[in-house]
Amino acid sequence: MATDRNAKVTWTGSLMEGSGRIEGVGSGAFGPLDVTCASRAEEPAGRTSPEELIAAAWASCFSMALSHALAGAGTPPERLETSVTVTFQPGEGILKGAIEVVGTVPGVDRETFVEQAEAARTNCPVSMALTGVPEVTVAATLATA
Amino acid sequence: MPRIVRDADVSWEGNLARGEGAITAASSGAFTALPYSLPTRIAAPEGKTSPEELLAAAHGGCFTMSLAGELTGAGTPPGRLDVHCRITMDEVEGQGHLIVHSALDVRARVDGLEPDAFAQAVDAAHKGCSFSSLLRAAGVGIDIETTLEGGD
Repeated sequence: MATDRNAKVTWTGSLMEGSGRIEGVGSGAFGPLDVTCASRAEEPAGRTSPEELIAAAWASCFSMALSHALAGAGTPPERLETSVTVTFQPGEGILKGAIEVVGTVPGVDRETFVEQAEAARTNCPVSMALTGVPEVTVAATLATA
Repeated sequence: MPRIVRDADVSWEGNLARGEGAITAASSGAFTALPYSLPTRIAAPEGKTSPEELLAAAHGGCFTMSLAGELTGAGTPPGRLDVHCRITMDEVEGQGHLIVHSALDVRARVDGLEPDAFAQAVDAAHKGCSFSSLLRAAGVGIDIETTLEGGD
């Protein structure tokens, strides 16, 4: 069954002097969030940006996929801590996604965890929508007890 | 122009079906620890966001800025743009769940803008939007509906 999710964005004025707002999302979970050209390209100053939202989508999708794979192997995670860094070059586009995950996963050795993380990186729906990103890395480590 | 780097953090606890995660905008702090789960990702959201909803906000935001840039560059900066983005995830036979579609509904109020020039700006914005480019490269369908309202 298809799942739809939506967001509403407004913009007033020119690109450099104007400003935008993510007015809200279908779930009501966040918004309104202001966005501007300066806070996208320079310091965020508390404002989100398309690249940060992509990082958030990617980290959340990857974490679910990895949790699913680990549970399927009989070793569900107690906890996964995932960070995604998206690198954007104006004029060129999104050049890199760097995924870092630290897992607390009873009964899993490092090698298996790294393999599962690589698979989640390749297979999660957001990764599949971002296959055009030239460089994607995943660094997976197990939390030390 | 220097590279722009943005981070997000997610924590997840438990298995897929019954576990729950929390999503934080780590660079800006614009949102913190938004909860999400499998049931609220694929069925009714019940007030919780999801990867697809974040993609909708990202694509809507990226396209809107791209269009504002095109209109500004053409000497007709927008009075106001209203953009609605809907992302669809579906199960595709043999491939599992995929992001299959993004639908953009664009309403623009721009003084002195002719419909042809508006169509050109929308086309250029779509080509120039970095996120549209990535979705196209991955075979995700994109539809854009546009309405130009008279600016006065």
